[in-house]
Amino acid sequence: MSSQTQSIAFDNASREKAADTLAMWLFIGSEAMLFGAIFLVFLIAHINYGAPFAAASKRLSLPLGTLNTAILITSSFTMALAHMYSAGGRWRAAIWSLAATSLLGLGFLAVKAVEYSKEFSEGLAPVLGAPFSYNGPDPVHAEFFFGLYFAMTFLHALHLIAGILAIAGVLALWSHANPAGRARRIQAVGLYWHFVDIVWVFLFPILYLINRG
Amino acid sequence: MGELRKLSFAYGGLLTLLGLTVGSSFLDLGGFNSAINLAIAAAKTAVIALLFMHLTSKGLPRLVVAAVGLWLVILFGLTLVGQ
Repeated sequence: MSSQTQSIAFDNASREKAADTLAMWLFIGSEAMLFGAIFLVFLIAHINYGAPFAAASKRLSLPLGTLNTAILITSSFTMALAHMYSAGGRWRAAIWSLAATSLLGLGFLAVKAVEYSKEFSEGLAPVLGAPFSYNGPDPVHAEFFFGLYFAMTFLHALHLIAGILAIAGVLALWSHANPAGRARRIQAVGLYWHFVDIVWVFLFPILYLINRG
Repeated sequence: MGELRKLSFAYGGLLTLLGLTVGSSFLDLGGFNSAINLAIAAAKTAVIALLFMHLTSKGLPRLVVAAVGLWLVILFGLTLVGQ
C-alpha cells in the first residue's frame, strides 16, 4: 500500500487528484446534458402555454420553495467548508461540516415532502394515478405544468438522496481511507453536491416565479 | 483565514441574490421578470462554480464546462430556431 497514491495506475498523488477531478467534471457534464434536455422541454412548453403555466405556477408554495432554496444554498456552503477543512487537515471540523450538509439535505427533502403532500391533497398531482382537479383556466395544460413540476423536482430529489448517501458513504469509510483519500472523496462528493444545488437554482425560478406580479 | 472569508462572502452573495429574485417576481415587469430571474440564476451558478467548485484554477475541468456549454447552446439554439 503506497502512501503516495491510492491506485497503482498513477505515478504520484497530484496526477491521481487531477484524474479524479476531471472524471468528476465529466460525470457532472453528462448530468448537465440530462437536466438541460428536460429544461428545454419545459422551456418549449412554457413558450407555447405561457398563460396556463403562469396560473398553475401560482398554486405552488412560494414560501416553502424559497425556504428550500435557502436550505440548499446553506448546504452548499457547509459542503465548501468541509472541503476547506479537509484541505487544511482539520478532520473533526470536516466531519461536522459533512454531517451538517447531509442534515440540511434531509431538511430540504422534508420540506419537499410537505409540499408534495399539500399538492396531492389539493388534487394538483397528476402522478401515480392520483385524481387531478384544477378549477383554473385551461386545466389540460395546467396538468402538463404539474406533470413537469413533479418530474423535474422528483428527479432532483433523487439526485439529492444520492448525494446524502454519498456523504454517508464517505463518513462510513472514514477510517479506511488515508488523509489524501479522504480529501479526494470529499472533493468529489462536494462537486456533485454543488451541481445538484445549481440545478435547483434554475428549477426554483422557472417553476415558482412565473409572472407573480 | 482568507478561504473562510471568501466562502462566507459567496454564501452571503447567494442569499442576497435569492432575496433579489424572489423580490423582483412581485413586480410586474412583463417579459423582464423572466430575464431577471434567469440572469440571477446564472449569477448564482457563477458564484457556486467559481468559489465553491474552484473552477478558477486553470485546467481540463474548464474545458469540460466549455464543451458542455457549447452542446447545450446547440441543443437549445437549434430547437428554438424551429419554434
